[in-house]
Amino acid sequence: MSNQRSGDRGLSRRDFLRGGVAVGLGSAAIGAPADAAQDRSDDSTGESGRARRTKGKTEIVLRINGSDRRVEVEPRTSLLSALRDFASPPLTGTKLVCDGGNCGACTVHVDGRPAAACMLLALDAVGHELRTIEGLGTPEEMSPLQQSFCDHDGMMCGFCTPGMIMSLTAELDRNPKANEEQLRAACAGNLCRCGTYPQVFEAALSVAKGGAR
Amino acid sequence: MSRSQDSTPSWPTATAAGTGLREGRVLGRDIKRVDGPAKATGRAGYGHDQRPANLVFAQFLCSTTPNAEFTLDLAPALAVDGVVDAMAVAEGKTVHLGQPIAAVAAVSPQAAAEGVRALAQHGLEVTVLPHAISIEQAMAEGAPAVRRSGNVGRVRSSDEGDVEAGKQEALDAGGVVLTRTYEVPVQHHACLETHGMVVDYSGGEEATIWASVQGTFAMHDGPPEYLELDPSVVHGRVEHMGGGFGSKFGVGVEGRVACQLSKRLGRPVHLFMDRETEFHAAGNRSGNRVTVTAAMAPDGRITAMESDSLRLGGLSGGSYAGLPYVYTVANSKSAMRSVHTHTDGNRAMRAPGHPQASFGMEGILDELAYANGVDPLTARLANLPEDEWNGVWRRQLERVAREIGWYEHEHRTAPGPHEVVGANEVVVGIGFGLSVWGGGGSRGNEVELRVDRDGRVSVAVGTQDLGTGARTLVSAITAEEFGLDTGQVSESIGSTRLGRGNMSGGSVTTASLAPAVKDAAHKMSVVLLAKAAEATGVDVAELAFAEGGRVTGGGVDIAWKDLCSRLAATGETTHGSWVRELQDSGVHGAQAAKVAVDLVTGHVEVLEMVCMQDIGFVLNHLAAKSQVQGAMVQSLSYALFEERLIDADLGLALNPNFESYKLANSTTIPPMKVLFDPEDERGVIGIGEPPAIPGAAAIAGAVHNACGLRLASLPLTPDKVLMGLEELRARG
Repeated sequence: MSNQRSGDRGLSRRDFLRGGVAVGLGSAAIGAPADAAQDRSDDSTGESGRARRTKGKTEIVLRINGSDRRVEVEPRTSLLSALRDFASPPLTGTKLVCDGGNCGACTVHVDGRPAAACMLLALDAVGHELRTIEGLGTPEEMSPLQQSFCDHDGMMCGFCTPGMIMSLTAELDRNPKANEEQLRAACAGNLCRCGTYPQVFEAALSVAKGGAR
Repeated sequence: MSRSQDSTPSWPTATAAGTGLREGRVLGRDIKRVDGPAKATGRAGYGHDQRPANLVFAQFLCSTTPNAEFTLDLAPALAVDGVVDAMAVAEGKTVHLGQPIAAVAAVSPQAAAEGVRALAQHGLEVTVLPHAISIEQAMAEGAPAVRRSGNVGRVRSSDEGDVEAGKQEALDAGGVVLTRTYEVPVQHHACLETHGMVVDYSGGEEATIWASVQGTFAMHDGPPEYLELDPSVVHGRVEHMGGGFGSKFGVGVEGRVACQLSKRLGRPVHLFMDRETEFHAAGNRSGNRVTVTAAMAPDGRITAMESDSLRLGGLSGGSYAGLPYVYTVANSKSAMRSVHTHTDGNRAMRAPGHPQASFGMEGILDELAYANGVDPLTARLANLPEDEWNGVWRRQLERVAREIGWYEHEHRTAPGPHEVVGANEVVVGIGFGLSVWGGGGSRGNEVELRVDRDGRVSVAVGTQDLGTGARTLVSAITAEEFGLDTGQVSESIGSTRLGRGNMSGGSVTTASLAPAVKDAAHKMSVVLLAKAAEATGVDVAELAFAEGGRVTGGGVDIAWKDLCSRLAATGETTHGSWVRELQDSGVHGAQAAKVAVDLVTGHVEVLEMVCMQDIGFVLNHLAAKSQVQGAMVQSLSYALFEERLIDADLGLALNPNFESYKLANSTTIPPMKVLFDPEDERGVIGIGEPPAIPGAAAIAGAVHNACGLRLASLPLTPDKVLMGLEELRARG
């Protein structure tokens, strides 16, 4: 699997709190996610001595595509659900397909690295720079890779396409001259049922070789 | 760009230099998908993405046992915070694994899921009844009845010639007779967008439904009754949908429940199956087991074939194209039955019944060929039908054989080694398969084309685009007519408020839709050229559309905008319907696959695949190639990875997720070559099904050719390869 999960990055509670402060949230907003974070390691009362909170809504601020967005979520809400179901307006470009980290359709960037949004709690995404497909380009002004997907027909039904593009964009950002093997590895966690893989490779390779720029 | 004197519309006739295929200015070339930018940027709105205000999310509680009686108390779900409604979907009895029992609606997907869990734990009392999951269980004496009519369906048989005489003929000539059993598992469609819809009905005069379906107008089949509304006020929309492959013809039980919940609540309802539900309640490609006895003479001719097949379609009948498949056998006898099990019914899936039949047919053909010392290509050529398509398949087979390197291949009349020789742990083999399909169109699309005074062109039809590029061809055919680009045409599809459209299935879309669009465009060109003639005094016969929408001829050159400015204030509108002469039916294809088999690990890697296909006039090369490659990818996935697993004793679903139901991914895709037959001079024909047929059989044949191992069942997993090699070695 090429998708870096949040666990690989070691999103500790400390990072999480620091992130929360860094985006300048009020203390009330920081408090709720902190409680939720504690639930995973502590018993019924956390270090702060406050009661454990596993339910109920919390307003958090997610930094999505360069803007802060207030989203009301529950501790159990995945980042994917926060984007699709709770953000206003909703960000539905990120797709729900398996909801279990198996298909890559919900790939977003967390601090520049690809992650499955269905495997990350919204609360754990606070304080991190998130990028979704909506933050990459618009139909009028697409990113080079998005343009290349259109030129090479790297999509059919299109449901896997945002995830494919996010995985490959992360690879190309990190490794602009990636070869085919590296590009294939980068999207190895992205399933496409229509079978557009050959065109997807062409599209990504063309960008790596400077073709679509 | 047609001339007005043409009484009937026709496709471009110029020929491309490189390929010999027909091309126009837009058509017959690589046409970029017009909705590509929307899809690539996440802006394309699928049913799953619709978020009308006040939306609630619904989920199913499904049966985890194949056959059971149950009592249901909805209270535990209703007690969950955020749950707004719950309803029974089945009544007291479930007859298949994964059958929806109840639905829960809540203000969030999480609360709906919690409601479903609460029902499962505290609201559901299940009495498990004996079940039948495997063929053996279903056919056993005293087996629990899956259907009232019994677990085994009526025998459908055919009988041609004299099978016994055919066998004797082969034996007398020094040939062979073999009996083999081939099995294919149940395959899932695995659409990435699950089955479901958003029903927006707040109790008023109108409702809107965004569904993931293969036919826009399927939303008028059921929902109006469920909502108790006239179809005219039920607006069905499917601008984009995330894959169907045959499984999404109707709105299904999810459509009924979504409508009922929306009506009860007076709120919009989002009901899309979760992945596990999708695996066991949304259809599948039926499995099959066939036992076949066949005889081949030393010249490669199959002289007799006798087969008995069991179709495994769960509650439904299953589908099987029957043996002999594609090839002609003078003396043949076949019997076909369906065996019913407590699993959800099969649905159409890309060439229903054909890949299953292809696996058995190409399999026995290879086995007979090698047993006779005949190479598998020669054997295929020896058994082609002696009809008008004989030459088509022949040139296709020979071409794919050449492309894949068959004529230089080491092992042709006998397979390669099943023992490691020296350091050669990996052996390479080549296999072949043929396909046949219809792909013709029919009446049913009503296209409206409008040209405004300011030069705007809009074309509308209610059809849907499953990812095939239907939307793009609506735009491209219109653009071609006037010398415009696709960007200058605005197309609307996927709405019941537009002209009627056919369902997409069985490869009928292109051959149904394209002629109707062409008809509307042609009628418009006649009108516009007449205007130009009237304005210039030039004989209309001399005028034609040139690049950029200009009208030229007879010494005049009128710009598109100028021409359109002469229209009435209301612009011009034409209507198009199906024109039989613009399409055709009957397609043929050949595929070859090259694989590497690791004799130590049992791993099969596909190294290369080649397809040659006739499909009449290729409207859009980019989309047609994508469609064929996609079918080849699905065949590869069917060959190597896919299999629905259910523990037959426990009646337990073992792999209803993408973690353990494996699909081909980016690391398993070989180079693929797609060739369209340049000698095919016909009108447009659909291409969805045929290339999905022969790939799996060709891959199995390649494994056979590599090491002498004919695996009798799909998928070709390493464990089966290793066990098979072990048996071969034991036999010596």
